[in-house]
Amino acid sequence: MHSKRPVKCNMPSVRVFAEDTVAGVEESIHREARYSLGKLWKDLSPRERFNAVALAVREQLIDRMLRTEERYRRSDSKRLYYLSIEFLIGQSLGNNLHNLGRIDEWREALHNLGTDLDDIQDAEPDAALGNGGLGRLAACFLDSLATLGMPGYGYGINYEYGLFKQEIDNGYQREKPDNWLSQSTPWQLARPDESCVVPVYGRIEHGVDRRGGYNPMWMDWKVLIGTPYDMLIPGYGGETVNTLRLFSARSSHDFDVEIFNIGDYFKAVEQKIASETISKVLYPSDALVAGQELRLVQEYFLVACAVRDIARRFERDHDDYRKFGEKVAIQLNDTHPALTVAELMRLLIDEKDLGWEDAWRITQATLGYTNHTLLPEALEKWSVPMLEHVLPRHLQIIFEINRRFLEQVAAAYPSDLDRRRRLSLIEESTPKQVRMASLAIVASHSVNGVSQIHSDLIQTSLAPDFFALWPEKFNNKTNGVTQRRWLLKANPRLANLISNTVGDKWITDLGHLRQLEAWAEDGAFQSEFRNAKQSNKETLARIIQDSSNVKVDPHSLFDIQAKRIHAYKRQLLNLLRIVHEYLSLIEDGKEPAVPRTYIFAGKSAPGYWLARQVIKLIHSVARVINNDRIASRWMKVAFVPDYRVSLAEKIIPAADVSEQISTAGSEASGTGNMKFALNGALTVGTPDGANIEIGEAVGAENIFLFGLKAGEVRTIREEKSYRPGDHCDRDPRIARAVASFRSNLFCVDEPELFTWTSQTLLDENDPFLHLADLAAYIEVQERVATVFNNPKQWSRAAILNVARMGPFSSDRAIREYARDIWHIEPA
Amino acid sequence: MEITVDRSDGVAIAVVPIDELDASNVGEFKRDITPLLQSETKLVLDLSQLRFIDSSGLGAMLSCLRQLSAKGGDLKLCGMSKQVRALFELVRMHRIFDIYPAREGAIHAFQAASEVQHA
Repeated sequence: MHSKRPVKCNMPSVRVFAEDTVAGVEESIHREARYSLGKLWKDLSPRERFNAVALAVREQLIDRMLRTEERYRRSDSKRLYYLSIEFLIGQSLGNNLHNLGRIDEWREALHNLGTDLDDIQDAEPDAALGNGGLGRLAACFLDSLATLGMPGYGYGINYEYGLFKQEIDNGYQREKPDNWLSQSTPWQLARPDESCVVPVYGRIEHGVDRRGGYNPMWMDWKVLIGTPYDMLIPGYGGETVNTLRLFSARSSHDFDVEIFNIGDYFKAVEQKIASETISKVLYPSDALVAGQELRLVQEYFLVACAVRDIARRFERDHDDYRKFGEKVAIQLNDTHPALTVAELMRLLIDEKDLGWEDAWRITQATLGYTNHTLLPEALEKWSVPMLEHVLPRHLQIIFEINRRFLEQVAAAYPSDLDRRRRLSLIEESTPKQVRMASLAIVASHSVNGVSQIHSDLIQTSLAPDFFALWPEKFNNKTNGVTQRRWLLKANPRLANLISNTVGDKWITDLGHLRQLEAWAEDGAFQSEFRNAKQSNKETLARIIQDSSNVKVDPHSLFDIQAKRIHAYKRQLLNLLRIVHEYLSLIEDGKEPAVPRTYIFAGKSAPGYWLARQVIKLIHSVARVINNDRIASRWMKVAFVPDYRVSLAEKIIPAADVSEQISTAGSEASGTGNMKFALNGALTVGTPDGANIEIGEAVGAENIFLFGLKAGEVRTIREEKSYRPGDHCDRDPRIARAVASFRSNLFCVDEPELFTWTSQTLLDENDPFLHLADLAAYIEVQERVATVFNNPKQWSRAAILNVARMGPFSSDRAIREYARDIWHIEPA
Repeated sequence: MEITVDRSDGVAIAVVPIDELDASNVGEFKRDITPLLQSETKLVLDLSQLRFIDSSGLGAMLSCLRQLSAKGGDLKLCGMSKQVRALFELVRMHRIFDIYPAREGAIHAFQAASEVQHA
């Protein structure tokens, strides 16, 4: 029996305000209801109650943000600016209250006001300003920067419409707009006085300056206005409150007065709308953005607003731009903000009158670039004619960077013309294209991948020529997740158990979870650990019942794949083994070793046909299995619609098994894998992304890795030796599962609906090699069932997963970025 | 627009009497500045009332400079707000104009240039 020790509070000392007392909280909520919303508390709707509470919390955040900014200015700290086209924040209220360290007082105050904090939180819409991993990583990083007391700011776009809401209609995904700003958000502080002018389009007029030098002038541009909105990001303990600055696009005038005056009202309004479209909508991931001018303008809008704002902040306390790199670090989260290279060069040369060499040295000293993908189709390229049309001055600068760079290459490899072609920033296609990843690599002092295998593959596969030139630039920064959101907030049952057992230092130092190893075999602790998981599963079972109308047994094994729907993530592989289990049961009479609930969640990009079909297939398989009298005793399949951060906070703590089954070499890191393991799920995964490092951390006996390694996948692709038909011939289980999709078993009402699966799965050019990994996947799942049937063994493994997740905190990742790339320190 | 003109030692100083110069009023500006461009060779534009200028306004400034230069004259600018100065820098036009904080500096620069010519 383990002893319950009193919890030592790890909260940094925080000044106590009147508002921190229960009475003070009540008063501030009443005040916001009355003076901000103009109503009495008792008359507020649920959404208005949330607004009143959030505004009361915001008051506290503002005080602390102002103190933080003063602290940074006094210490003249070097600052980090994290540029990301996405920030997947989710809900903020619960997280902010946890980080302010006063959640109990607020809960009690709300109870006194006749409501419940959980109900208030439920009324908060998710800020869905991102698609998935990349945007959520950015949000976790902001939490860690603030918790570590580091001067780190996010820069992004204030999309009026976040990622679409997903509804399911007859098994098909339907998209509904997510107009999350329609009722405004209490978390944002508008800063119209810090708006900036952003020129786009136009032409270059080649002239000479007063000294007779070449002077290209950017003429005839149109103008956008970027208005900043600040979201306040409190670190744990509340001492540091940083900001995420999001820009909204506005036209320079309400509308063009001249057009209005000559009577063309609609044209005048159209121009205004066109300008404001720039920040209107988040592009779904995997959407075909290549060639879309609006996307290019959107990316430049972010970059231009951010660089102007960074320069403004710099000039507040400094006047020598030669020291810019000593005071400013800019991290490019993937290539979406890669135009920062040309924009910063333009600023330094055109506006600050620095010479090319000085400007280039400063730019390289300032920029770091994080690569997030190896998938060729996801590597951004912009056509030269479009860039010339939208950003003529920037294209000039990119050409000059390339010219100087290729001179260097020619000097290093005088006779290697092919290498020059490969390294050139300009792809000699028709039309010519600018390779944005190459631009970011050339102009940054650091290039990092987001897991060890991914960083290795950048060096060997994605950018080997660049690596040969500058091996010192390349490094790895394995992703991480913030334990404040993904354990403390998302899983209070487990968080309390951990804190009651080993103290709560883990909240700011996840390595402290290691102490749980001592409890991994403790019967009483195991029992409480299982109870926490069981409660979370019951909560999720209710959500599934409400959202999908599927009744699931919370005592069954919850086997979950929750992530974007994409071919490389292989939801189709998961379906194949589910169907295998089903057919083994109904055709062979082989009962599974354990009842399972197979749970899917995730969105498909609206234009991604195959992913949309996968969603339909999941629902069709679910309908057949769930309605099968025999099978449904052993198996249930559920798809939980509208996967988003707040739903992930419910799904992840309830998982027994976490499915991380991408084709090796295709997932850069993954962070869902970390969140699941942190919440005590065992990973079934391929040796891909951070799965490998999770396996090393938790121990081979506590993870179920299977399948081809990245090198083997690469060899098969290079040798074109993938023969899916051979897998079917050799293994009747595989042949039967594939045939079942073709047989109309899952689409009796719509024959041949799923014939596309055969074309995909039996295609020798299937880049994701589904059938090559299926046999190993089936076998590893049998081992999973065996271990699950031994609760002590399973619980031990699950506890050890939690205990050994210290390296996967975003705090660790941020410390590494700060030490190796940004050279910033806590202020 | 009513452009007021002061004179000092052979230099004409014209005050641009608007707070925004953009596509909506650039035609009017061009029309009203043209007589000065024809009659003067040393012209200072006082932009101290201007708060915003767009690319068509910048184009008009460039046109003024070129017209005066073509007949051997010169144009100097003064009194720019920080915002307007930033827009000139954005398009590198600060490199082709003589820009002074106040009109006295611009007038003095014309005088100094004359003295150099006569010396």
